[in-house]
Amino acid sequence: MTPPGPWSAVISFLRTTVIGIAAALASGVACAPAPGPAIGDGAVRAGLYADPQTLSLLGKNDTNSEIIARLVTDSLVQYDARLELQPRLATAWETSPDGRTVTFHLRPGVRWHDGAPLTASDVVFSVEKARDPATDSKSYMSSFQNLVRIEALDPLTVAAEYATASADFLEGWALPIIPQHLAGLEPDLLSSDFARHPVGCGPFKFVRHDPGREIVLEANRDYWDGEPRIDAISFSIVPDERTAYQALLKGDLHVIGVPPDIWAEARASPEADRLARFVYYKLTVWYVAWNGNGLFADPGVRRAMVLALDRETFIENVLAGLGRPAVSTYHPDSMWANPEIVPLPYDPAEAGRLMDAAGFRDRDGDGVRERDGRPFAFTLLMPASPQEISSRMAAWLQQSVAQIGARMEIETLEWGAFQERRGAGQFDAVMSMLTFSPIPDQFELYHSSAAEGGFNFFGLSDPEVDRLLERGRESFDDRERLEIYGALQRRLFDLQPLGCLFHLATPVLHDPRLHGLEPSPIDYWRVTPGPRAWRWESVPAKP
Amino acid sequence: MGERPGEAMSRAGGEPARRVPSLPAAVARRIGTGAVTLLLVTWVVFALCLLVPGDAVSVEGGADALGRRLPPERVAELRALYHLDESLPRQYGLWLRDVARGNLGRSFYDRRPVVEKLSERLGITLTLNLLSLALAVVLAVPLGAAAAWRPGSHVDRVAGVVTYALYAVPVFWAGLLLQLAFAARLDWLPLFGLQSPGARHLGALHGLVDQAAHLVLPVVCLSYGGLAYLSRFVRATLVESLHGDAVRAARARGLPVRRVLFFHAFRQAAVPMLTLAGFLIPGLLGGSVIVETVFALPGLGTLFVDAVFQRDVPVIMGMTLLSAAATLAGIVVADLAYAVFDPRIRRG
Repeated sequence: MTPPGPWSAVISFLRTTVIGIAAALASGVACAPAPGPAIGDGAVRAGLYADPQTLSLLGKNDTNSEIIARLVTDSLVQYDARLELQPRLATAWETSPDGRTVTFHLRPGVRWHDGAPLTASDVVFSVEKARDPATDSKSYMSSFQNLVRIEALDPLTVAAEYATASADFLEGWALPIIPQHLAGLEPDLLSSDFARHPVGCGPFKFVRHDPGREIVLEANRDYWDGEPRIDAISFSIVPDERTAYQALLKGDLHVIGVPPDIWAEARASPEADRLARFVYYKLTVWYVAWNGNGLFADPGVRRAMVLALDRETFIENVLAGLGRPAVSTYHPDSMWANPEIVPLPYDPAEAGRLMDAAGFRDRDGDGVRERDGRPFAFTLLMPASPQEISSRMAAWLQQSVAQIGARMEIETLEWGAFQERRGAGQFDAVMSMLTFSPIPDQFELYHSSAAEGGFNFFGLSDPEVDRLLERGRESFDDRERLEIYGALQRRLFDLQPLGCLFHLATPVLHDPRLHGLEPSPIDYWRVTPGPRAWRWESVPAKP
Repeated sequence: MGERPGEAMSRAGGEPARRVPSLPAAVARRIGTGAVTLLLVTWVVFALCLLVPGDAVSVEGGADALGRRLPPERVAELRALYHLDESLPRQYGLWLRDVARGNLGRSFYDRRPVVEKLSERLGITLTLNLLSLALAVVLAVPLGAAAAWRPGSHVDRVAGVVTYALYAVPVFWAGLLLQLAFAARLDWLPLFGLQSPGARHLGALHGLVDQAAHLVLPVVCLSYGGLAYLSRFVRATLVESLHGDAVRAARARGLPVRRVLFFHAFRQAAVPMLTLAGFLIPGLLGGSVIVETVFALPGLGTLFVDAVFQRDVPVIMGMTLLSAAATLAGIVVADLAYAVFDPRIRRG
């Protein structure tokens, strides 16, 4: 036998490589999960940028998990596109005279996807699960914070008692209901088998999930409110926006949300001509919060900062038209928004006058105003964001305030570090995006008592704001509440504790044969009727 | 390149240079120090995960959400769920205890077992990396040899320019161009993913072809940088050995060119190449965030990056363990291979 030369080593390396590849193919890629039912031509293929965090229908609160939950199961009430709560699994409800107890009547004849009937104990179970910290469902933990007792009075009646009455109690009842007989088999919902094969009573049934790749749902033909008009929805997980856009152009996907640059491109590209499109405004606002204990103690200075901003030009040139100037932390299309308040205009002259009035003047001619010998210079703190828009917005703020004699530095911190600095009050100004809820009560944002540990990190302490927030919580009359919250917005507009900059639009592109998509402040998935009302004008051809 | 870790190995043992350790003893010592290194690496990474501001509970959502604020005592309950309320050494101790029992824990993010999350992505990453490494090696060795045979020739210069140009091309840009050309315009290859939507109903053969088609663009994307690097590396080491005494002697003896190149020059060049191979092994598990993202392939790269942003300590630690173990294994394998290829090292 000849001694092994270098080639035999190379050959043996190649041999192991080939075996390795074969093994990897066999173990990893080729392990196609057990075949499920065939998804017909009527399936809508949607792109998601990330896997849902969980399929448990109730745990966690990320948007993608909630989209799946709202399709697979139902809730007692659900928001429609106008942000009004519509009865779903509950047909009616009444509150006790003191407002602390609410009794829900459930819709008879609703069945889970496995055929078992929906009962009041499923509702009780779902609320208890949502309140369990192990379910890690922050928004429902928060909505049911005040609940002291919940019980099933009979199979179709649920009574819930709160420690204190709240006019906004109904919001929490949009929680997805899960079946006790399946979801209650294991103590921990998120790690349970149910979270891998969720069963609900909603318009779509769960078919399968290949993590990182795909989630498939099919129409529930026995849905109590009529069967959906599309056969199935398959969500492809496509992390890259440009890839998703190419897939949409190619016909591999039928509906995706896109970032502003792709939206702008799709407006100009003849290839994208055939696509249908719309935008919606989420319950979010980009803001700059001024630290009320420092340079920005004077409301006039805060106002001057916003007057220095040419928002219309920024929207046109940078946001590709995808934005509206904001006035408050209320959604401009909601019934609670005060329509009399209009955005501050671009008025650098007025901004200069306000700065002068506050004592900030450029005495040494260096272009920066000063008072008592100290220049008007501050640092804008912002979280590092995957959204490119935040750094462009910060640069624009820097330029704009420089024109009225303010020097601004930008400091970007990773989210966790950002929160810590902000919570400790160690900032001059912070810029970020706030997500608010459809309810008008913004006590924890603006009340002086929310300065410690609450959301009022900017330190607003105004007796009138406090009084209005307290009155809003005590009132149960919608007309009176409209007045209260209208007055609150007016007062906040005068004080400018937060410079509300923009509501950014979320653009959606979709196959023009797909109809029935409806924009809403929530999104086009999680409202009623949502995808259950989507339909094909003509069935798409197989890819 | 010039330093041989093999020599450092015998020194590190504190042994007198004369005493020749037997191969098994050397391997045992290497594994021993490897285990200590592994422990240190995991401790450092674990401490870093927990010392940076914020944690899995505070970063979740990544935005300010008004309807989700909880009073501090409820937040404390959530943190306790993940043992985030314990001291750092205790949390590390708990993690080590679980690892010793073969349990990498559950992800903070979605509460799925870490082993499951790693293994469902390991196959994808390994397949991609092995295929692209194979492609790079198959093309780089002849290219490097051709360039090295007559340094300064046209072949050498053209190969140099082309490989440097390739090395400079950003991966995300190359990925996008490849997608636009071959998936969007020509429609020869799929745009993203691992299989076509209807692929689960194809037969075994068609299914395999479908998967192979999905791998073409990502593999090309992953290999061109390595190809450029490897071919230059092969060229450099070959040029060095072609000027060495052994090769000069072989050529003086009138041996045929091919024999000189393959049997003498390559053999000498093998040692530095093996050093590189030692580092390629952990690279196989590394995964490429960009390629995985652009082509929507759920591999280990994106898992790791996402886990860092989500402060998902169990997943970060699982990945750390995996890649540290692979790195150490690579070094051990490279050391052993030196001994096989270079008799001087074998003899101490």
